[in-house]
Amino acid sequence: MHERSLVRELLRQVDAIRLQHEAERVSEVRVRVGPLSGVEPLLLASAFEELVADSRAASASLVIDEVPLLAVCKLCDRQMEVTDFVFRCRSCDGNVHVTQGDEFELISVSLSESVLAEEAVS
Amino acid sequence: MTVETRTITVRRDVAAESQADAASERERLSRRGTLVVNLLSSPGAGKTTLLEATARSLGDRYSMAVLVGDLETDRDARRLSPLVPTAQLTTGGACHLELPLVRRGLAALGDPQLDFLFIENVGNLVCPASHDLAEHLRVVLVSTTEGDDKPGKYPKMFRTSQAMLVTKLDLLPHVPFSVAAVREDARQIQPDLDVMEVGALGGAGIDTWCNYLEQERACRLASYL
Repeated sequence: MHERSLVRELLRQVDAIRLQHEAERVSEVRVRVGPLSGVEPLLLASAFEELVADSRAASASLVIDEVPLLAVCKLCDRQMEVTDFVFRCRSCDGNVHVTQGDEFELISVSLSESVLAEEAVS
Repeated sequence: MTVETRTITVRRDVAAESQADAASERERLSRRGTLVVNLLSSPGAGKTTLLEATARSLGDRYSMAVLVGDLETDRDARRLSPLVPTAQLTTGGACHLELPLVRRGLAALGDPQLDFLFIENVGNLVCPASHDLAEHLRVVLVSTTEGDDKPGKYPKMFRTSQAMLVTKLDLLPHVPFSVAAVREDARQIQPDLDVMEVGALGGAGIDTWCNYLEQERACRLASYL
């Protein structure tokens, strides 16, 4: 269970972005998780919920985009979705190169701040 | 008062920084001629016994050291230190090693000039797969007593390894384990996996394993040696 240490690193990066953009609050953190990332989405969500409360992003929600595992054959260039973790080309039995699905990526951070109504209009 | 929201696009791997850090540490060790080998397995698969046999076989020709990770105790370090300089890394409950702990272990040994640095990871086939410790070679051990169906259950570990060692070969007559089956299962996940068999207590296969290490060092560090 290493999701907690990953979430700590994620929150550190999120806060750096918040500071860089001089924002008050983080409202949403969007990540992308592949089947070969070593990150279990359910455990990630619960670790986030637990750790975000004590962080500078306390009000933020986490959105997890789960993506399929995609690969291209190193021998015949066939593109395929890898299912059941069989990393062999269905056409020629060659090894494949993973093109998507081993990532745990920070996609975006939504920042929010309260502004006076007249400022918002101008 | 209204709330204004803006979305900042990032699109960066959360581990990008630690991956770059591991790559630069690997480069530093490559320049010093050190091949770093990360050994991974379930608890009790024979990592320490393999290292004892490896130290006996390679120790007089190469300078080597071991960093050994466990949740608690220095039992493995006490076993290994009569044979090879060893630093114990205790994680205090954490399920895997990370690069800062490896650096601390190297510093504890005085950051010596090494031909081989072995990292005996915490016994665990899950979390250690996600952490680059600046290794050149990731070797996963599967013992004959664990069963030949392990690779498919822990795909990331086998996908990210360069070699698999089947250990406790001497117990093969007593257990329902097929070397051919574990090899086939592992190669569904990583067709390029190098597979070797060892019985470290009796010494079976240790020569092949040590030759492999020498070749990998010569090959992977060719431009540095």
